[in-house]
Amino acid sequence: MEVAANPATAPACVFEAAGLRKEFDDGQVQALRGVEFRIAEGEFVAIIGPSGCGKTTLLQMLGALDRPSAGSLFYRGKSVPDLPDPAGYRAHEIGFVFQAFHLLPTFTAVENVQIPMFETDRPLAARKERACELLKAVGLEHRLAHFPAKLSGGERQRVAIARSLANGPSVLLADEPTGNLDSENARHILELLARLHREQHMTLVLVTHDMSIARRASRAIQMKDGRIVFDGAPPSLPTPTLT
Amino acid sequence: MTFLAVVARGLMRRPVRTGLTLVGISIGIAAVVALVGMSRGFVASWTAGMKSRGVDIVVHNMRGSLTPKAFPAATRDRIAHLPGVAATCTISVELMSIENSEMMIVSAREWGGFSWENLKLLSGRMPRDASERAVVLGRTAAEVLAKKIGDTVQIETEELTVVGIVDGGALVENGSVILAQPLLQEIMGNQGQINAIDVRVTSGTSEAEMRRLCEEFNRLIPEARAQVAGEHIRDSQGYRMINAMSWGTSLLALLVGVLGVMNTMLMTVFERKQEICILLALGWKRSRIVRMVLWESALLGFFGGILGVALGVVGVNVMKTAPAIRGLLEPELTVGLMLTAVAIAVVVGVISGLYPAWRSSRLTPSLALQG
Repeated sequence: MEVAANPATAPACVFEAAGLRKEFDDGQVQALRGVEFRIAEGEFVAIIGPSGCGKTTLLQMLGALDRPSAGSLFYRGKSVPDLPDPAGYRAHEIGFVFQAFHLLPTFTAVENVQIPMFETDRPLAARKERACELLKAVGLEHRLAHFPAKLSGGERQRVAIARSLANGPSVLLADEPTGNLDSENARHILELLARLHREQHMTLVLVTHDMSIARRASRAIQMKDGRIVFDGAPPSLPTPTLT
Repeated sequence: MTFLAVVARGLMRRPVRTGLTLVGISIGIAAVVALVGMSRGFVASWTAGMKSRGVDIVVHNMRGSLTPKAFPAATRDRIAHLPGVAATCTISVELMSIENSEMMIVSAREWGGFSWENLKLLSGRMPRDASERAVVLGRTAAEVLAKKIGDTVQIETEELTVVGIVDGGALVENGSVILAQPLLQEIMGNQGQINAIDVRVTSGTSEAEMRRLCEEFNRLIPEARAQVAGEHIRDSQGYRMINAMSWGTSLLALLVGVLGVMNTMLMTVFERKQEICILLALGWKRSRIVRMVLWESALLGFFGGILGVALGVVGVNVMKTAPAIRGLLEPELTVGLMLTAVAIAVVVGVISGLYPAWRSSRLTPSLALQG
């Protein structure tokens, strides 16, 4: 199915949302109340706000994990809710990093990284080779055959990051990626994400409620009660530092 | 890592539950193998008995029972002279309880008929004449009844002397109590009545000619039915009833297996709800999730089938030594039956997985971001 392109969208624009709304329980809960924004290619955007402000819901919309109740959301000019193959979109365009890592417990690190590659034509040996490369890139080449239970929290999140990169996505969506880590591991993970963003010129959208993390982004979108209350350079910082 | 490895890993998450499910489905499959193997073995064993006696065509009146109903012995005269008929031998066969054996074949044969020819004496002698109150025992029958030469065997109210023990060249023959036909007719009060005519055709008669001969017999003897030896067992209502009961019992056991696999797969889907949502979030298509669940249930069926076949084979080998069965039939456990049983198990597995697979396909990937 061909999806109508938004003629107003510039080529460099990755996401464009207008009047985006999401309601649950027949309108009793309004998670998003008319959100509007544009995210350009290669941006590092932090979405910040307190619990329940709608930032995770917004991430779900961006990743085509859920459909908006109203409004429009475009990815490179294509309507995300109307994508003919949302699974393909998630498999090839988007990489997810979750707060709770969400590694599959019965698979080793290298096997976990191969999971998203099932939806590609990549041959079996090439999948493993790619997974090994990615784990090496996140500094886990010595942990390939370890099961998640045998890895530390920081190592698990690194495996999850490697997994998110499996199919070479252009956008990385990270939901509180340091939420379950101690400060030292959190710092390492943020450095890793920032490095990936810088070196691979990926668009990085990171959800957090931690202002100190948001300050590392090039742009911050602050949300409250389902609305964007601030959109600009991270507040109280002269220049965002990525590494 | 292959997709099959992902599927297998899913089953290994809960090895005890997977093991118990395998046992559940294997019992159903074991029932299929054992019961169907026994009922098919019944036909094969009786057919082998016919072949051993050199019977080509059987004229019988076997409609609603396993043993043929009686009809007049004089009927034989209408077909004995026909071209293509080399020899005939009238038979009276009964399945009856004899002493401690609940079911035994009592085979009474026309005195001097060709159906005595296949019996090889292992010990003792044959009856002297049709009036001697004596029997010979097939070697298995002698073992089952624990009789030796000189002992007596009680048939109805008559005590007959065991004068010989024979090898009949087939399981059914060896499991029989064999005596002269007039003696059994007298004991049963069926003088002049028989319930089968063994027909031997002239050598070189083709299958098609035998069938034509059967048609001719059927025209001349409307009160009975002529069939190629063996087919009369397979076509009998009694055998059909046994076969239907075998499948019916097997299907009930399989239904239990279906419910077991379905329960396991539903539990699996519920337990792995978030894992499935993560797979969806990582880009797996719903069709792949459905295939994963169906493959898991099919694998459960496959391994349950293998285990069931093994259990069925062991069970049948135990059952065939039971006194009630020994000498009556040799279970027919063919490769075809075993493959059919495994195929049934796989189909059962897939059917059981349909609902859980459908449930898994209804999950929404947004759950992956919750918790």
